[in-house]
Amino acid sequence: MRYLWWLVRCQPWRVLRGSLLGTAWMIGLAARPYLIARAVDDGLRARDTRALALWVAAIVVAGVGLSYLGIMRHRTMTFIREDAKARSAEVLLRHLSRIGAALPRRVGAGEVSTIGGSDIDWTAQVLTLTGPGVGAVVAYGVIAVVLWSISPMLALCVLLGVPVVGLVVGPLLRRLERAESVYRQQQGALTARSGDIVAGLRVLAGVGGRDLFTRRYAARSQELRAEGYRVGAVNSWIDAATVAIPGLFLAAVVWLTARMAVTGDVTIGELVAVYGYVATLIVPVWFLLEGSHQLIRGRVAARRIADLLTVTPDDVGGPGRRWPDAVPEPRRPDAVPEPRRPGGLAVPDGPADLHDPVTGLTVRAGRLTGVAADDPAEALALADRLGRYVVSGVTWGGVPLRDVALDEVRARILVADHDSYLFAGTLRDILRAGADDDEERIGAALRTASAQDVVDALPAGLDTPIDARARTLSGGQRQRLRLARALHGEPEVLILIDPTSAVDAHTEARIADRLHSARAGRTTVLIATSPLLLGRADLVAHLNGGRITATGSHADLLDRDPAYRHLVARGSEEAYR
Amino acid sequence: MSRLPVADRGTVRRALLDMISRHRRAVGVVLTLHSAAAVAGLAPPWLLGTIVDRVTAGAGVATVDRLALAIAGCVLVSALLSRYAQYAGHRFGERAVAELREEFVSRTLGLPVSVVERAGSGDLATRSSVDVSTVGTTVRDVVPTIVIATVQLTLLFGAVFLLHPLLGLAALAGLPSIVAVTRWYLRRASSAYLTEGAAAAELTETLTTTAEGARTVEALRLADERVRHGTTRITLVWRARRATLALRTVFFSVVEASYPLPVAMVLLVGGYLLTRDMVSLGAVVAAALYLQQAIDPLDRLLQWTEQAQRGFASYARVLGVGMVAPEPPGTTASSRGERLVVRGARFSYSDGPDVLHGIDLEVQPGERLAVVGPSGAGKSTLARLLAGIDAPRQGVVSIGGCPVTDLDPAERRRRIALVTQEHHVFIGSVRDNLSFAAPDATDDQMRAALLTVGAEWFAELPDDLDTQLGDGARQLGAAEAQQLALARLVLADPHTLILDEATAALDPSTARRTERALAAVLVGRTVIAIAHRLNTAHDADRVAVLADGRITEIGSHDELVAAGGAYAALWRSWHTRVDER
Repeated sequence: MRYLWWLVRCQPWRVLRGSLLGTAWMIGLAARPYLIARAVDDGLRARDTRALALWVAAIVVAGVGLSYLGIMRHRTMTFIREDAKARSAEVLLRHLSRIGAALPRRVGAGEVSTIGGSDIDWTAQVLTLTGPGVGAVVAYGVIAVVLWSISPMLALCVLLGVPVVGLVVGPLLRRLERAESVYRQQQGALTARSGDIVAGLRVLAGVGGRDLFTRRYAARSQELRAEGYRVGAVNSWIDAATVAIPGLFLAAVVWLTARMAVTGDVTIGELVAVYGYVATLIVPVWFLLEGSHQLIRGRVAARRIADLLTVTPDDVGGPGRRWPDAVPEPRRPDAVPEPRRPGGLAVPDGPADLHDPVTGLTVRAGRLTGVAADDPAEALALADRLGRYVVSGVTWGGVPLRDVALDEVRARILVADHDSYLFAGTLRDILRAGADDDEERIGAALRTASAQDVVDALPAGLDTPIDARARTLSGGQRQRLRLARALHGEPEVLILIDPTSAVDAHTEARIADRLHSARAGRTTVLIATSPLLLGRADLVAHLNGGRITATGSHADLLDRDPAYRHLVARGSEEAYR
Repeated sequence: MSRLPVADRGTVRRALLDMISRHRRAVGVVLTLHSAAAVAGLAPPWLLGTIVDRVTAGAGVATVDRLALAIAGCVLVSALLSRYAQYAGHRFGERAVAELREEFVSRTLGLPVSVVERAGSGDLATRSSVDVSTVGTTVRDVVPTIVIATVQLTLLFGAVFLLHPLLGLAALAGLPSIVAVTRWYLRRASSAYLTEGAAAAELTETLTTTAEGARTVEALRLADERVRHGTTRITLVWRARRATLALRTVFFSVVEASYPLPVAMVLLVGGYLLTRDMVSLGAVVAAALYLQQAIDPLDRLLQWTEQAQRGFASYARVLGVGMVAPEPPGTTASSRGERLVVRGARFSYSDGPDVLHGIDLEVQPGERLAVVGPSGAGKSTLARLLAGIDAPRQGVVSIGGCPVTDLDPAERRRRIALVTQEHHVFIGSVRDNLSFAAPDATDDQMRAALLTVGAEWFAELPDDLDTQLGDGARQLGAAEAQQLALARLVLADPHTLILDEATAALDPSTARRTERALAAVLVGRTVIAIAHRLNTAHDADRVAVLADGRITEIGSHDELVAAGGAYAALWRSWHTRVDER
């Protein structure tokens, strides 16, 4: 609800204009019955052709005026909705961009797709209430006043009728909300499933199983249909109520007025006018009912958006980020405020050694350190600690890494995941990754990653658009692009995880040589078991059973450490048979 | 990126008619109920006209009471009828939508993989979410509304004609301008809404991929870049929506200005007829009220025309998926023998240059062939041709003398399995993730298959085979996911396996374990292993070296090493690094 209110407050003047136009338009609707009544009374009944022509002309003019009000209202409301949609999309976008590594742990990608695909729209739809919704309330009042001038009893009837509508429809709407939210959940799950199928099409094409998936999806779809029937049963009653309640109301009012006409308290023209007014009332009543309908749906949608917005970035145990629009950190009540170190102390000014007390690994500043791990999970955990994706006791130049502002860590230490994401965009966009667009540096990074052939093979070179995940490229090509992208950032500390596992031996050897010279003087950690890569490292550490068991040059370790030799020479002696 | 096709108007219309004729009875019931409801809804103005006439003629309170009660009765009957009509319509809609989305998914599943890859998954994903649900709304809500409105309008105008034909003619004033502007609008609306839909799809894709790549966004500090990218998309959506709004502005202004014309004409003509005593005052009043009442359905009709357009546009996109020629069902159900033969195969992606330049290859049943070569040499493309995912542009790939693409796809997958490094864990249980490879497999067979591929993590799962995986549930790591994929393979039991760097994504030690386990699976099967690691090649019966889309060397490992070509050079470079001491 707060979120909805925020969307309104973002555009106060537009909303005000929408309310005014909505009100004017709805009141304008009531003008026609009045004019028709005058035409009947003064023109038709009096057989006065001049008066008839005059009132008919008034009807036409009023129609044109009303059409102007109507379209202006529509334009304003559309702008309000579009503004809300754009704003929601932007807020979500900013937030999604900022949450970072914590996001996949908390929210499924399918959910984001549902929120982006439809919840934004549902939420924006609620803002329609600000225009016609407000207008409906005012129009209702105005018509009641007009009726009062004809007969106070009629007006009373109208004023009492409104709460009756609310009392009858209220419980139905609440039932609808429950049914609707179950339906929406199932619909979201079903959408996630079809998205899942789309994502897994390649697998299905390789192994088969399309029929089974078709059947499985169909079964879910049938469940949703049954749920839809239940929602429909409720929905149709609500809709019937929107027809019946104003209609019965109309009948009652007509009955009262007709009795007055019999006794001569009102004229025939007034009888027709009252009929017209109350018939016109259907519009505001409909808007209010429809509006509460939309409000229900929109609130569910807005809650989902708001929930997503409350997912906070993980500060991984230390001083947070210095992003200007950072969300205030949620404070645990039991947390003892830690003494903050003065900022200057907490940051190593230049290249410094990284030390991981868990494994005992020390990464020397300015050197290329190879880490060969028996258990890859340990290597990944090590990378997460060194890059502060988890809370740990890693020190950087003697300073606990968790005491350094996180965005400083991110700016200076880059963990290049083996499967880091490739976003849609031109190849140049992908490679420069937010950094500057320097042709030479991109070229250099491509050369180091031995990826120039990837660019050369594309129709428009660096300007070729690539879709998300670069699915059209081969695994080896993607891996080299990822490497080039990581290198292009020229981070102070670069932690590469298996950067060449999908490229052929020849290319790997070339990358190993180039990597060493490209990163000369900078700190690089290379997690790999390939002899080609490790052979070019300044120093190699063997991570075995959670500890660094040996450190030395590749050749050294081959001599001294049989387990290491066994690890890096996998397969060449021991064949797969 | 070539987008998926969008159906043209004729196709959409035919599909709609087809849908209606499939649900003839339901549609009939809905129409009947709505018509009855509309007739009951017509009574109140007519009854009011009667009241006017009777009161003018000096009738008493009792008559008024009776007539007013009749009005109330009509309202109730009309509401009840329309409730059931709507419920029937809703059920029809749900059913039709369920059919539609099931058909959509089934079509999607039938799409040739290459088409999906080229179109981008975002486009398909939006079609499966936004478009399918837009069509859903259209079928469930919009079509019934249009039907009701049309029925009501027909009855209302019919009623005016019944009151007096001249009044009826007068009532038609205003229609010409409405018809003209509607035609103007509909001609332009469709493409404008399609543009709008496409822009929205790209925005959704931006949001989704930003979420998918959240860790990368943080690591590479891409937040600003993502925001910039998304903001451009938001601007495009805004612009597209403005364009459609401009169309509506013209449309609605003209339409709304035309609404009072019929009432005005009827009053004028009625006044004339009244002076000649050709109609009663009550009749003119009733006619004016009918026309006043007609504004609402007319308004709904026109308003929903736009929604219907939107639905039409979405439907065109949904149907577009079905327009992609599905994977050909195959002309041959089975082939004799398992000998894999490639003759003069050339291949290019869309209109690009050839990636493969005339490949000739023969693989004997039970043989193990390793294909090596530098990245980008066309190894994966060759694997796709062998597995029948793509057809060669020229030449032929056949198994047992029958072109692989002629085989029935299901049959082909049973015989030839392609295992890539790409892995996907489907939402669902472990069982769901295995059973599709072999629907008849028992639980024990599944557990055995997981053991075979060394998936030790399976023992720790809380619910055994029923443990839920994927989005929001337990996430598997790359190695675990690949083992799951290999377990599928054990269950699928194909005679020919094409391994396209199947273990490349695995870390070395898991890869070693998996490869050892895989070795047991490979026994007695034809294996074509695309490899960048030379150890794989060393153990194969024969090695084919692929360079620039051509097979440059082929023979056993020892032969190739002895030949002293590119392969021998590679082998030496790999070996010296390991053995240099």
